Amino acid sequence: MSESIAPAGPNRLTPWLASFAAFVVPFGFVLAPMALFLVYSFFSVDHGSIVFSPTLSNYIRFFTDPVFLPIFWRTCLLCFTVALLCVLFAFPVAYFLTTLRGRSRYMLLVLLLVPLLMSYVIKIYAVRSILGGNGMLNRALLATGLIDKPSMLFVFNLNAVLLTLTVLLIPFAVLPIFLSLERIPKALRHASADLGATNAQTFWRVTVPLSLPGTLSAMSFVFVLAIGDFLTPQMVGGQSGFTFGRIIYSQFGTAFNWPFGAALSVILAAVVILAIRLGGRVESSRGRIQ
Amino acid sequence: MSLKAILGATALAAGLWVSAASAETLRVLAWEGYADPDWVKDFTKQTGIDVDVVFVGSDDEIWAKIKGSEGKDFDVMAVNTAQLQRYIDADLVKPWDLSKIPNQKQVLPRFQDLSKITGVTRDGKAYGIPFCFDSIGLIYDTDKVKTAPTSMSVLWDPQYAGKVLAYDNGEHNFSFTALTLGIENPFQLSSDQFATVKAKLLELKPNVLSFYTTADEALQIYQNNDVALIWANYGQQQLKAMQKVGAHVAYIAPKEGSLSWLDNWAMTSGVKDEAAAEKWVNFLLDKKIGAQLSERTGFGNTAAASSNANDNDKLVWLESVEDPLKRSDLWNEIKASQ
Repeated sequence: MSESIAPAGPNRLTPWLASFAAFVVPFGFVLAPMALFLVYSFFSVDHGSIVFSPTLSNYIRFFTDPVFLPIFWRTCLLCFTVALLCVLFAFPVAYFLTTLRGRSRYMLLVLLLVPLLMSYVIKIYAVRSILGGNGMLNRALLATGLIDKPSMLFVFNLNAVLLTLTVLLIPFAVLPIFLSLERIPKALRHASADLGATNAQTFWRVTVPLSLPGTLSAMSFVFVLAIGDFLTPQMVGGQSGFTFGRIIYSQFGTAFNWPFGAALSVILAAVVILAIRLGGRVESSRGRIQ
Repeated sequence: MSLKAILGATALAAGLWVSAASAETLRVLAWEGYADPDWVKDFTKQTGIDVDVVFVGSDDEIWAKIKGSEGKDFDVMAVNTAQLQRYIDADLVKPWDLSKIPNQKQVLPRFQDLSKITGVTRDGKAYGIPFCFDSIGLIYDTDKVKTAPTSMSVLWDPQYAGKVLAYDNGEHNFSFTALTLGIENPFQLSSDQFATVKAKLLELKPNVLSFYTTADEALQIYQNNDVALIWANYGQQQLKAMQKVGAHVAYIAPKEGSLSWLDNWAMTSGVKDEAAAEKWVNFLLDKKIGAQLSERTGFGNTAAASSNANDNDKLVWLESVEDPLKRSDLWNEIKASQ
C-alpha cells in the first residue's frame, strides 16, 4: 500500500480498504478467536452452563490435578520423538532430492507431496490396517517366519501413535530441509573439496551445519502438527495412547467444559509458540551472519 | 454440516412431495426411518390428512427447532425418553389421551403399561408413546467365545485380555459397569458408587484393545485384530453390519439389564389439531409398519416382535445422568492412568 501505488485524487479510500481487507482476515479469523479462547479460559462451568466471572481455577486445576501434567509431558515427549524421527527419515530423502537434476527432482518432490492431498482420516485407517494384530505387517512377518505369533508391539499403544504420526508427517519435514539444502551454494562444497576435505567431511562440516536452520524448522513444524493432533491417538492409541489433544477434545465434546478446554488450549498454544520460536531462532541468527 | 445439509434437502424434498393438497396438514418432526414416504402416503389415503415431515440429525437439532418456535412449528415429534424430560419441564409437550390411540393396547407386553417405562409419564400423564428402541448389548465372536456369555462381566475375564473393544464414552461406561456391579440406579450414582465403578473400570483397561466411537471403526478394528468381545453401542445395527461382511458374531442382552434407548412420539404444546396427531401415532403403532420399521432400520419396534429384544430381556431405559461433567472427567482419568 505504498504511496506510489495509491492513486491520487478521488479514490483515496482504496488503500484504506485494501489494508482493511488485508487485516480483517488475520484479525477476524485468527486473532479474535484466539483472544476468545484466552478470555474463556478464565471462566468456569457450573451444572452444564458457563459462569462468566473471572477465575484462575482452570489453570490451578491443570497444575495441581495429578492427571494432566503427566499426560502433558508424555505428549510433549511423544511429539518431540516424532519430530526427531521425521527429520531423521526426511533428511536423506531431501538430500537425495538435491542430487537430482531438472525434471526428475520436481517429479519426485510432487510424488512425496501427493499423500498430503489425501484425507487424514483415510491415511490413519490405512496405517491401522497395516499395523493391526493380524494386519498386513504382522501377516507379512508371520509368512516370512521372522515371528511365530502376531507382534503386539505396534498395535494400539503409544508406539503405534508414534509410528503413525511419523509416517503421516514426514512430507512436512522433507520440504523445509530440501529448501535449506538447496540454498547452500555449490561453491562452498567445491571449496571444501579443494581444500582437501573428503566427501564425508564436507557433508558433516559444511552441508549439515548449513542445513541446520531448515532441519530445525522442520522439527518444530512437525512437533506443532503432532501435538495438536487428537485423531491419531484416538484411532491407533488403544487404551494406553491417551494424549493431551484427546483431553482437550473431550472438554469440548462429552464433558461440555469449554472454559477448561480453552485453558488447556491456551497452554498448548504457548507450547506451540515456544516450539516455533525455537525453530525459527537459528534461522534468524543465520540470516544475520549472511 | 454436510450431513445436515443432506438431511435438510431430503426434508425439503419430502416436504414438497407431501404438501400436495388438502386443508389439514400434520407437521411431523422425526428421525430418518420413522416416517417413510409409503407410510405417509397410506396415512393420507386413510385419513385425508396431509403430512409434512422434517427429518432431524441430532437431539440438539430437535431441541432447537421445538424450543425456537415454542412448539408452534410442529404437531408431533419423535424424541427419546431421556430427552423428553426437558420438554416436559419446559411445557413444550402435551400429554396424550390414550383412549384416542387404541393401537397402544396392542403393542408388545413390555410397552403396554406406560407407567412402567421410566420417563414417558409424569404425574400420571403419558407424554411419550414408545415407538422405536434398541438395546446396547454385547457382540461376541462365536469362534473365540465358545459358550454364549450372559453378562457384561465377561468383559473383565482375563482370558480375553487385549481382545475387548470398548466404547469411548464415560456416561455409558459408568452406567453399564454400575449395572454389572448390581447397582440399582445406574444413572444416579452416589460418590461411594462412583469410586467403586471407577475402580472397576480401571480393572477393565488391561482387557481393552481399544476404545471405538463409530460402528465402522469397530468393524475395521475387528477385521484387523484378534477381537473376541465388543461392547455394542450400536446394538443390532452393529451386529447386522458385522454379519453382512461375514463375521462370525452373535449378540446377547446381558442378564443384569441392557442400557437401551427408546424413542417416543410426543405431541407439542403448539399442536394445531390433536385428533390428527393421535391418528398419526395410532396409524404408526401398526404391526405391519412396526415390522417394516425393524426390517428397514434394524431397530426394535413396539408393535411387532423383532430380534432386538425377547420379552424376557431386561431393558434399562436410558435416563439423563446425575453429572455428565463428572463422568466425563473421571473417564478421562481412567483413560489417562498408566
